[in-house]
Amino acid sequence: MVNIKVDKTASRGIAVAPAYKYQEIELSPDTYIPGSVEEETEKFYQARDEVMETLKKLSADNEIFAAHMEIAGDFMLQEGVISKLQSGQQNVQQAFQDTIEEIAAIFTGMDDAYMKERGADVKDIGKQIMARLKGTTLPDLGNMDREYIVVAKDLYPSDTVKMDTRWVKGIITEEGGVTSHVSIMAKSMNIPALVGVKGILAHVEDGMTICMDAKNGEIIVDPDKTVLDEYEDKKNAYQQERLRLEQLRMQPAVTKSGKRVSLCANVGNVEDIRHAMVMNIDGVGLFRSEFLYMENTHFPTEEEQFAVYKEAAVLCPQELTIRTLDIGGDKELPYYQFEKEENPFLGWRAIRISLELKDMFKEQLRAILRASAYGHVRIMFPMIISLWELQESKKLVEECKEELRQNGIAYDEGIEMGMMMETPASVMLADEFAKEADFFSIGTNDLTQYILSVDRGNKKIAERYDSFHPAVLKAIGQIITAGHKEGIKVGMCGEMAGDSKAVPILLEMGLDEFSMSAGSIDYARELILNTI
Amino acid sequence: MVSKKVVVNNASGLHARPASLLAQEAGKCSSDVKIFVGEKKIEAKSILNIMAAAIKKGTEIELQCEGAQEQADLAKLVELIESGLGE
Repeated sequence: MVNIKVDKTASRGIAVAPAYKYQEIELSPDTYIPGSVEEETEKFYQARDEVMETLKKLSADNEIFAAHMEIAGDFMLQEGVISKLQSGQQNVQQAFQDTIEEIAAIFTGMDDAYMKERGADVKDIGKQIMARLKGTTLPDLGNMDREYIVVAKDLYPSDTVKMDTRWVKGIITEEGGVTSHVSIMAKSMNIPALVGVKGILAHVEDGMTICMDAKNGEIIVDPDKTVLDEYEDKKNAYQQERLRLEQLRMQPAVTKSGKRVSLCANVGNVEDIRHAMVMNIDGVGLFRSEFLYMENTHFPTEEEQFAVYKEAAVLCPQELTIRTLDIGGDKELPYYQFEKEENPFLGWRAIRISLELKDMFKEQLRAILRASAYGHVRIMFPMIISLWELQESKKLVEECKEELRQNGIAYDEGIEMGMMMETPASVMLADEFAKEADFFSIGTNDLTQYILSVDRGNKKIAERYDSFHPAVLKAIGQIITAGHKEGIKVGMCGEMAGDSKAVPILLEMGLDEFSMSAGSIDYARELILNTI
Repeated sequence: MVSKKVVVNNASGLHARPASLLAQEAGKCSSDVKIFVGEKKIEAKSILNIMAAAIKKGTEIELQCEGAQEQADLAKLVELIESGLGE
């Protein structure tokens, strides 16, 4: 029995289930003496056909797998393997490995970022066929049919997308912070998660029972009877708590002294909104439009975006704040090549890109405007540092309005246009910005990183990343004061807005809107209701 | 053996999706199908071979079919490329 304390809770909850270690397996070729060319060729065909069969099933739902299937069955791959078997002393595993590397190298050597990515596709298929040749199976989160707690080094969107929420009871990763992809995803799916748990893979064997308390930050591997009983109680207590919180849901977010605030959700897609609506939210404080761009093969068109924004606006009629494209920094697009930058977080990102790629920006603005005819939509610009950027963005919105007007297309003439407060420059000029913007939304993740000059992805200085640093708190206070002086609402859409220690402070400072991941909303409501 | 020149009009060239469709359709042909781009000779039934050639928008390629159905196969594939390969 091993007991591990964890200080980073990514998503709350209690879970007890067998571990499933999700990690890379050894796939280098075995060194056996090859059989006849025919025998070795036959092994290749068999492994390949099995993989193609699996891909065929997957391709019914996702056309990416259709292209993968095409690659697996490709002539070039087959010829490469056979010619190596015929000419050398290699066994089929070695011949296959060499062929895959040759083909992948062609793609990864290309200048085009999109084509480079295809090299990864080839390697991915290579792994699947290689695993069959070696008679092992690749770890696959999509293949699970029993309850488990996934234990991994880190999880990427391509992994989490395959997870079946019926079976995943918990997530533990060695890397990642509370603002990483896996944390945000776990919160939105309501799965208990602990991240940054160094060394966990070494402590856990596949199938070992794990008790995880993603509330107080505790993991117990291979528990004895006493611990299991204790966790049974904990689980019940947690369920009681959930029940209590759910009963509070219908109460509006009003403090004991009668101040009504907005309790909103941060979302990445329509599914997230549907999930958050159950919690009786006052609106969406942050719709991350970048996911529409990231999970795509091309810049989404006006029509494609309109369809999504419209659905979102209808679904959440209270308020839908759409943040315009916030790409760059750590977020890239598979179909657009960004130049390599020394400091991507200080580089070409967010509004800086939008104001340069104006046609692309206007497609998005028109789509948002058109959706505004169907609900209460607000536009929010990210990473603003100068009045010029805000004015220029607003001017483009006016141009788009004019275009729509001429074509007789409906939109909300009074649509509010606000900005993210996430750069030190925006804080220093908050008074001026408050005269130009219709609302402020404080993005604490980036604001903390920029004010403290602490890279939020750098593990070595993770302890210095602190949203409660006096400088950050002072900045938040200044933003709220500046906004209120001009009579505009000030919200917050960073992870801090759902932090139990932060909520009372932010209420005291006068914050009007608290927007957070769905998993934090119930807790924040209770906190607000209990604060004077 | 018959051949015909045709210009690729897909915005992003012969990327995965159009390349996949072309390879699939070429695969259905009984003819031996080859594509010539500059010095390069490409096996049209291979999606990898097509993608690896990185054929950009506006490139003129020569399609060559050889076999009993060569006329019909060539006509079908030329039309497919001209129509934008499903994009």
